[in-house]
Amino acid sequence: MKEPTGYEKLGYVPEIAHVLKAVPMTEQEIFLDLRLPGKTELGHAPGQFVQVSLMGIGEVPISICSSPTRGDTFQLCIREAGTVTHGLHRIARYAQLGIRGPFGKGFPLAELFGRDLVLVAGGLGIAPLRSLITYILDRREDFGRLIVIYGGKNPRTLLFKEDLADWDKRSDVELIVTVDRGDETWQGRTGVATEPLAELDLQAVNTRAVVIGPPVLYRFAAMALFEHGLTPETIFFSLERNFHCGIGKCGHCQLNDLYVCQDGPVFRLARLLDRIEAVEAWAPEEDQDR
Amino acid sequence: MTATHLISEDAFASLLDRLIQDMPVMGPVERRDQPGFYRFDRLEKTADLQVAYTTTTIPPKKFFFPPVDEMFTFDQSGPLHIEEQAEGSPFVLVGVHPCDLAAIEALDAAYAFPPADMRWIRRRKQAVIIGMECRPDDYCFCTSLGTADARAPADLFLTPLDEGYLAEVHSPMGSVLLSDTAARQATKNDRKAAEQVLQRKIEAVTARLTTSVSQLADILEYGGLTAVWRETAERCYSCGSCNITCPTCFCFSIEDTLDADLSGGQRQRSWDACQLLDFARVAGGHNFRGDRWQRVRHRWHRKFLYLYRRFGRPYCTGCGRCSRACTADINIVDITNRLVAHFQQEHKP
Amino acid sequence: MRRSEKKRIAFFDFACCEGCQLAVLELEETLLDLLSHTDIAAWREVMTGDEPPYDVAFCEGSICTRADEERLLRVRRDAKILVALGTCAAIGCHNNLRNRIDTREALEKVYGKAARGMDVTEARPVSAVVDTDYRILGCPVSLPEFIAVFKAILTDQPYRLPNEPVCVECKLTDTLCVYEKGRVCLGPLTRCGCGAICTRFGDVCHGCRGLVDEANLAAMPRVFSREHLHAIMGAVASGQPLDEERIRQMIALYNNYPELKIEDRGDA
Repeated sequence: MKEPTGYEKLGYVPEIAHVLKAVPMTEQEIFLDLRLPGKTELGHAPGQFVQVSLMGIGEVPISICSSPTRGDTFQLCIREAGTVTHGLHRIARYAQLGIRGPFGKGFPLAELFGRDLVLVAGGLGIAPLRSLITYILDRREDFGRLIVIYGGKNPRTLLFKEDLADWDKRSDVELIVTVDRGDETWQGRTGVATEPLAELDLQAVNTRAVVIGPPVLYRFAAMALFEHGLTPETIFFSLERNFHCGIGKCGHCQLNDLYVCQDGPVFRLARLLDRIEAVEAWAPEEDQDR
Repeated sequence: MTATHLISEDAFASLLDRLIQDMPVMGPVERRDQPGFYRFDRLEKTADLQVAYTTTTIPPKKFFFPPVDEMFTFDQSGPLHIEEQAEGSPFVLVGVHPCDLAAIEALDAAYAFPPADMRWIRRRKQAVIIGMECRPDDYCFCTSLGTADARAPADLFLTPLDEGYLAEVHSPMGSVLLSDTAARQATKNDRKAAEQVLQRKIEAVTARLTTSVSQLADILEYGGLTAVWRETAERCYSCGSCNITCPTCFCFSIEDTLDADLSGGQRQRSWDACQLLDFARVAGGHNFRGDRWQRVRHRWHRKFLYLYRRFGRPYCTGCGRCSRACTADINIVDITNRLVAHFQQEHKP
Repeated sequence: MRRSEKKRIAFFDFACCEGCQLAVLELEETLLDLLSHTDIAAWREVMTGDEPPYDVAFCEGSICTRADEERLLRVRRDAKILVALGTCAAIGCHNNLRNRIDTREALEKVYGKAARGMDVTEARPVSAVVDTDYRILGCPVSLPEFIAVFKAILTDQPYRLPNEPVCVECKLTDTLCVYEKGRVCLGPLTRCGCGAICTRFGDVCHGCRGLVDEANLAAMPRVFSREHLHAIMGAVASGQPLDEERIRQMIALYNNYPELKIEDRGDA
């Protein structure tokens, strides 16, 4: 058989990263700042993910929430949802953990250059989006309008509050934060993220949209964006799946013929619309006869 | 043309004797607890090899990708230390039927697809493979998939004849194997006899798909088959046996075990199955293939549509192991033909 | 990994055969390795004395009397972590079969007049009486799972019960399918984690670890009522009557308390 070359690096043995910072963000999420040995840069693009491991417990995919423009560390925002993330929530500063990656295709930066951008995040979706937003802000003149819509369950679950405050102050970011249910301190918007999206005034021709969130967000965000004249060609979704290997082998992340870990996780909507398993995830109540 | 030789049973036995002394030799052996049933295992002696075995529960892929494959060990009693586990040493795999040869070739394509899986590739390069002509059982349908006479990736392929084996040489390693034996050049008659063995085998395969693999891909792509998926799922246990016994299934999961000292341990990957309930479930709880019928559909789509389009061959070799292993009586030939019939019914002129 | 201070552990038995504790003792060297991280506060099978409170209490058996119930509540109050050890404690086992008949009637039939003073209640698994932090299945308890849970406790980790049928472990160990031998097996419906110990040693799976999530219970009678079963399944069906009632009885041997659901499932 033919000997493949050049891919040896993408094996199953992780590199050992050091935890520089471990800060709880909310009841459910912790923020980690990590560095590889020898201050090697991770070399990621916004929208990619890494496999994070705690030896003896296991490995989980986590999207990178920092921008490659910000030095030799990289950052993760981790929600406690299982055994590995349970362990990661109890990790201490200076601890070591395993990192594989970065994996996947990130946001289509070349296509976003020079355009007006609408970035929509629901819940934890703000984590990968923060990587892109930071990247854009570090090269602000390369992009057009920057509209960020972020929807959370309630004020306590909002992530990256410092970043949100910074973005809110800037005149070159149009930030809209909304929560499903406010509390006595909340003075911002309430309601789902797709409502402010519908109210925007957009030049569809020169606009690209990115949506990341729970499955239910995709369908309604796409409908709102279509109303604005955006098309499946100008909308990008970043998808969540069960990733084990990260290199299109283990089969867990398969979405019809696509390997989300390798072909995605960021996809042009047009590429997803004829994939029945994508459509079923957004509209499970409709019995798709396939 | 492939070089062919005739090797007597005795001469082949002494070749195996020598090989067994030199390195591990794996082949079909009879199950000790259950005569008449076979498994691939290490041969302790040449007589262990069961030339006339029918099939095995688990295909020979287990030697290139063990069911539980230890990838590295770690030790965190001090600073974290990780040590990658080597993939073993050279070995011989003997007695591989054409369907299983085709399956190994299919997995070569899938695992070498960039980025390549070096654990599979390194193990594959360590192996010498000797194929063997087979006798079909009720579950075989290789003739529908063009694998009845598959040879790659065998180094040597043997067809049992009255006076020994016709040995086809399919690689330089194949001729090295024969070089020190009492094999003679095969005659035209020897080759003819082997062709007749193949012909008789093809005639003995009675289970058949009612469509070609390319049409099957088109039918699956067209869709409209939910009724058949749902009906099949009513019986399916989602036990994953069809996946795990499949010679071309290659999904796995990665997990850790911790030693009793709580500082050392290992990371392994083990065979996983897309028919299992939690296969596509994510940490937050959402299951992207939560309905049983969706998982059933995925299995057919992956075997006959996605991987067919990606690699130009169906990821099924007609070995029949899945049908045999299915305690829900789901037969891959029956269901595939039901799909075809359903499609034709819906699209009557 | 962060390691806690030595944990104080205790073992308690309720209505059961104590086979789970015996099975644990059979771990020998492995058990000693695990116990090196602990101090034993109570373990009737191996020592005398009981010194609460406990970090971890392993409770085996079913709760069948008011006295059982009170003792279990006391253990729960004294234990930071309570582990249901084995099927009797985790999901209910043979003990629970008696819930199908009137308790008083059964008592009098077995014990006659002596039954009058007995404070017997409905038989319930430990998990139905108090909150359990971990559950280990198996009759007797599955040792690979006992080890995994023990390590999880020592490292302050949650443990997730496997959610695959026994067939998976049979196949991974290249075990010949019981059906190929013409016998019926509950493997396709039963939660794995035992390492397929029964089938590997020539028995069938009796389902002692309870049902896997979304077990397709309707499938088995449906399969055996089919007209043209394939050769192997046909041989199984011809060997014994497999109507719905018979299949229901087989499944009910171990699954006779409301089904265990793995609510809290996470990532790897």
